[in-house]
Amino acid sequence: MYEKILVATMGEYMDDIIEHTLNILTDNPVEIIGLYVVETSVPFLTPKKVKEMMVAELRSKGEEILDSLAQEFQSPTHYMVNFRKVLLEGSPADEIVNLAENEKVDLIILGTGKNIVDKKLLGSVSEKVVHSAPCTILLVRTS
Amino acid sequence: MLIIALVISLIIVVKSADVFVDNLVDIGAALGISQIILGVTASAIGTSLPEFGSALIATLSGSVDIGVGTVIGSNIWNIAGILGISATVAGVIRTNKEGLNRDWLMTLITGLILLFFMFFGDINWVASIVMVIAYSIYLWLLIKSERGKNQEDAVKDEKDNKDDYPSGVQFKQDKKSINKKTIGFVIVGLLGLIVGCRLLVFSAVELASIAGIPEMIMGLFTLAIGTSIPELVVTLSSAMKGLHDLSIGTVLGSNTFNILIGIGIPALIMQVPVEPLSLSFDAPVMILTTILLMVLIRMGKMKLNRIGGIILIATYVSYAIFRIFIFP
Repeated sequence: MYEKILVATMGEYMDDIIEHTLNILTDNPVEIIGLYVVETSVPFLTPKKVKEMMVAELRSKGEEILDSLAQEFQSPTHYMVNFRKVLLEGSPADEIVNLAENEKVDLIILGTGKNIVDKKLLGSVSEKVVHSAPCTILLVRTS
Repeated sequence: MLIIALVISLIIVVKSADVFVDNLVDIGAALGISQIILGVTASAIGTSLPEFGSALIATLSGSVDIGVGTVIGSNIWNIAGILGISATVAGVIRTNKEGLNRDWLMTLITGLILLFFMFFGDINWVASIVMVIAYSIYLWLLIKSERGKNQEDAVKDEKDNKDDYPSGVQFKQDKKSINKKTIGFVIVGLLGLIVGCRLLVFSAVELASIAGIPEMIMGLFTLAIGTSIPELVVTLSSAMKGLHDLSIGTVLGSNTFNILIGIGIPALIMQVPVEPLSLSFDAPVMILTTILLMVLIRMGKMKLNRIGGIILIATYVSYAIFRIFIFP
């Protein structure tokens, strides 16, 4: 049913996201784009060198996350999947929506599981994506 | 007017420290100093220069209480205030056992070294030499640990052959040449730091005198919290981004630097007098806060959770109330 799927993760809810993605796959060929966004925004007065260090560490973390996604989706069992890794820098919600538009994906898969306190204090990427996504979204509910 | 001067001088101090460290690292890289040494030193010192500068300038200009107050106050605020706020907002700060044990133990030992020398009255050059040697050992341990980590990463990268993206928690290896602009920025940063700290201390002293607030209180709270803005932004944003090692490491590394260098260097130049209340109340609170942090992390199974964060904030508020209203 879906030919191009965008799986966006920040490293949380990985097992649940992978499980739900695999559940909707059929025998038809499908392209899956694994996306990790390095959030580069830092508060005013953050030292420049510390910002560079943060971005380098987040890139490194993103690489590991995308590699583990690749390991799952590129296994021989999932012969129908053509997997691609994308690592971007910027605001996670904006980058997810922009990539979905540019790549014309059919479905975005995201995890969601923050409690109300965390949502108020940290914000919610999935809520922002829901409001401006150009396609269907599968929000994987996690505990 | 004085409050505006205080805020402006704080911004000057923090930005100047950033410009100074940033360009000094570039010069160090051009001179061929190891990236690991530069990285560790820049992150350890970068956020703590405002406290150091203020403490040094305050001590040299005769406002010793402000200098000592800024250092001890910053250390209590860093743990109880900054880590408390960060854990409350981010929900959790995870810890790396090895790094935490090293940094926490060093912070505790540092606090005990200060308390030990405070018992003998004024902090003099003997204490200063012990402190500077202790900090050199700590820096060496940090560099050794970072070297080991980088070697492990290099082996892992080679094994996995994953070269899709540049990686590694270190500064870029590109060797730049020293240009006039970089040297100029170092000088501008240093001048900004000196002028900013002087203005900061001056406005704090004047404000204390006009409002009838003891200089120690001014140092313990206003300057301590103000000069810790870099620690606050780094700790909070890295906790929110899930960079837990950086979050807790910034605070503990800063506390070690604040005492060993923030008091150690001024004590090399002149004797730093100790106020009785600092010995009997502020320094013990600083050490107890450090111990409380470890207790909360252990209780949270090597994580500082939101409840731990709220307990730390409550501890800071209680300390501030006691110190300002009961033992001013």
